[in-house]
Amino acid sequence: MRQGLRTLWLAATLAMFASVADAQDAETRADVLRREREEKSKSLAPPAPNRMERALLDLESGRLFERILNPAEGIYPRIGNITTGSGFSFGPGYRHAGLFGERAAFSTFAAASFSKYWMLDARLQFPELASRRVSAEVHAQRYDFPEEDFFAIGPESSRDMFATYGITNTVVGVSGAYRPMSNLTFTGGIDRLSPDVNASEPGEILSVFDPALVPGVFVQPRFFTYEGGVDFNSRQPRGNPRSGGRYGIVFQRFADIEDHRYSFNRVEVDLQQYVPLLRDRRVLALHGLVSVSDADAGAEVPFYLQRTLGGPDDLRGFRRFRFRDRNLLLLQAEYRWEIFTAVDGALFYDAGKVASRSEDLSLRDLETDYGIGFRFGTMNGIFLRIEGAFGSREGKHFVMRFGHVF
Amino acid sequence: MSFRNLLAIGLVCGALTMAGRGASPSYFPDDPIQVDDDSALDAGQAVSISGSNAYDFAEHTFLKPGDTSDIRAVNVNTIDEVPDSTWFTNRIGRRDLSIEELVRGPNTGPTPSFSDWPVVEGKSSGITPGYRIVDPTGRLYQLKFDPPANPEMASGAEVIGAAIYHALGYNVVQGWAVDVDPARITIAPAATIVDMRGRKRQMTREDIDHILERGARLPNGKYRATLSRFADGKPLGYFKYYGTRPDDPNDIHPHEHRRELRGNRVFAAWLNHDDSRGLNSLDMLEGEPGRQSIRHYMFDFGSIMGSGSTVPQVPRAGNEYILEWTPALKTLATFGLYVRPWILVNYWEGAKSVGRFEGDFFDPIAWRPEYPNPAFDNMRADDAFWAARLVSRFSNDAIRAIVGKAQYGEPGAADHITTTLIKRRDKVLRSWLTAINPLVDARLDASGVLTFENVAVASGVATPKAAYTFTWSAFDNTAGSTAGRREETRATEPRTTAPSAILEGARFVRVAVRTAHPDHPTWDAPVTFTFRRTDNGWQAVGIDRMLAASVIR
Repeated sequence: MRQGLRTLWLAATLAMFASVADAQDAETRADVLRREREEKSKSLAPPAPNRMERALLDLESGRLFERILNPAEGIYPRIGNITTGSGFSFGPGYRHAGLFGERAAFSTFAAASFSKYWMLDARLQFPELASRRVSAEVHAQRYDFPEEDFFAIGPESSRDMFATYGITNTVVGVSGAYRPMSNLTFTGGIDRLSPDVNASEPGEILSVFDPALVPGVFVQPRFFTYEGGVDFNSRQPRGNPRSGGRYGIVFQRFADIEDHRYSFNRVEVDLQQYVPLLRDRRVLALHGLVSVSDADAGAEVPFYLQRTLGGPDDLRGFRRFRFRDRNLLLLQAEYRWEIFTAVDGALFYDAGKVASRSEDLSLRDLETDYGIGFRFGTMNGIFLRIEGAFGSREGKHFVMRFGHVF
Repeated sequence: MSFRNLLAIGLVCGALTMAGRGASPSYFPDDPIQVDDDSALDAGQAVSISGSNAYDFAEHTFLKPGDTSDIRAVNVNTIDEVPDSTWFTNRIGRRDLSIEELVRGPNTGPTPSFSDWPVVEGKSSGITPGYRIVDPTGRLYQLKFDPPANPEMASGAEVIGAAIYHALGYNVVQGWAVDVDPARITIAPAATIVDMRGRKRQMTREDIDHILERGARLPNGKYRATLSRFADGKPLGYFKYYGTRPDDPNDIHPHEHRRELRGNRVFAAWLNHDDSRGLNSLDMLEGEPGRQSIRHYMFDFGSIMGSGSTVPQVPRAGNEYILEWTPALKTLATFGLYVRPWILVNYWEGAKSVGRFEGDFFDPIAWRPEYPNPAFDNMRADDAFWAARLVSRFSNDAIRAIVGKAQYGEPGAADHITTTLIKRRDKVLRSWLTAINPLVDARLDASGVLTFENVAVASGVATPKAAYTFTWSAFDNTAGSTAGRREETRATEPRTTAPSAILEGARFVRVAVRTAHPDHPTWDAPVTFTFRRTDNGWQAVGIDRMLAASVIR
């Protein structure tokens, strides 16, 4: 239909030009062309982009999304998840850049979700010190996560024994990073934590589990955490890697500053490797994470500071926080293939376990799942992934998340 | 051919017949025009437009704008050539250009001594780091730096592309590959930059350092960049590859049917200019108030050949649209076991400045830009033939000299680009110079001897085994048809003598030439040359190429 209209238009136009030429008995080709132009000059109009084009142009040239959702300065709506499982959250945010001679920026936000999760956050950042080799930050955060999932501690926990708990926490601290070369970063930080667990309501931990099996459920001390790490990152490109790797190790000291009953150390080794295939159009992505927590003599690792497995970022065939314990092993492998420029497919396999003793972090009795997914984004980053996870002993799970899995 | 297409051709032919049937002759006294005066009327009321990358992609990928009628290009003259205009100036197609002219390209002088010109503002658009400087007369220039991992890549592509497009006939801005000495950079007191936070503020030395950090540093401590001189006039945005500007009275030919825009597909394929889209063009309003017109520029060649501007060109470039359903669905359905052939191409990796550029896998016919282009899609075999003829005018020495303009410092880089351009040129010629009956430059002298050139044979892409059949007749210019009896002659050389009985008393004569060639059966479709008697002999006034159905597009 559209083709037909175009054709009729073209024929009519040519016929019109012909008749104009005939009628005025043009003597030269130049006359014909000039008369066509004179005819057009009678009906000039400014170019009129359609509504969609105008809207997209405004978005691009005016950086509308950026100005509204992620502005450099001023008040903006803070939209997105607060934490895994919080649901959609929003609230006001504010940024003030250019402090201390353009060296620092202050930002803060308050956000809440329909699940009654909320968070207040403020930070003063010095992102580019010492010729951009050093960055530093002072931050403070207060949050309330009222309905976190809990399935008991240890690898033998049952999906049917399920409870929730609420946790509020205040975090105040400083952190910094030193980057001697583009791939290498040393990090460090000190935080003060003031957790407060609520687990006594019906359906919460104390109504379902024996408190003796849930360390830290009654009393939550204040902590100082000290953290130091080193990260080598050769991934290319960084946001949606096709080659290279990322190798990090972090040491953390959680110091119970009241009676040391819950003091412990944690070491985490996080390794990623990307094997390019077929000129980077296929990628084998491998991820391994080991987290080992070692409580001080006579102390315990509180359940709310234990690492967890399960959910959209690790064991995708299980519910979030499905497994928790002092120690954790996670192995993930993905085969990613480019379908076209903006969309990748992925076949994945996850395996992992938690254990109370680090020596139990073997490759036996791993919880596993597999699945398929699609990633939407660009060469430099993934903004959305949609996945179906199967093969776990606990059924199928659908995942829709912003950002990459690892 | 679908009924719709037949209907389209019928209607268009009907319209053209109507045009010829009235008082207008087939050939006006000024045919074939060499210049289309498309700056005749004042275009001063034209306004600036901006384009959205996202909309441009979506529109061309999903909506397919523009007229798709299978018609001859509408802006060619009666000898099937493109007259000079604000779009195109015949250069290498009209005469031999010296090596010096080719290398000089659009530049009116040597590389400017820009080192002490102050920086006046940051570069406001695009992904390449850079800034703007101003010369002592106040003229604005822009410096764009090569990516750190690929020094000389984008700047080399830019100056090579500009030189070739200029020689072909397009308007391009002046540009030079230069080395910037960071110690000599000065900043004007009023210089501004829009920082990462979106704020316009005074530019500082730290901003310059930040820009240079993202630029290619050479072993001598300088930074390789492209220096571009802003074009004369007032910028009006870009032109589209379809429709006409509604605010320009001179713009009467639908862009998707302009010969030089359709034929640009051939040049873009040759140079792997996959970013050849409307948004990489520039309309400039020129002239004094009351007599202003729009000049149309091709713009931004930093992403041609093996360069992707800030990274080496992606392997998909030139081989597949960004979104192409069939290979995507095959890849999806097979979990990636289906491997697009271009993925397996090996690229020469001997020099970072080359990027990814090759000529062995290159297939001119299958070549694609980033996303569909209405004028490219409308390109017919006669458009491609016209373009391929221009490509054939670039000798090996000319290509080598133009590549030398990029001043590649890495061993082997210039050689690789030169040999690849030659290899791709030869493929272009084999694909498009041989697709239709390739006869050009017909002359009928006063004694009745007809000579012409078989350009495919002359270019070495076809064997000289051709035999020619000539059908002669007189032509009635008023009626638009042949008149009187016909006579047929034959020859095995591109030369014959017209039957005197046909020439006698005729004001116009026509000769339809069929070419018999064992390798090219499509050459049997005739080329018809029309000559007008003048005081000095015969003037070629018409070339009509009948296209075999198999080669129209």
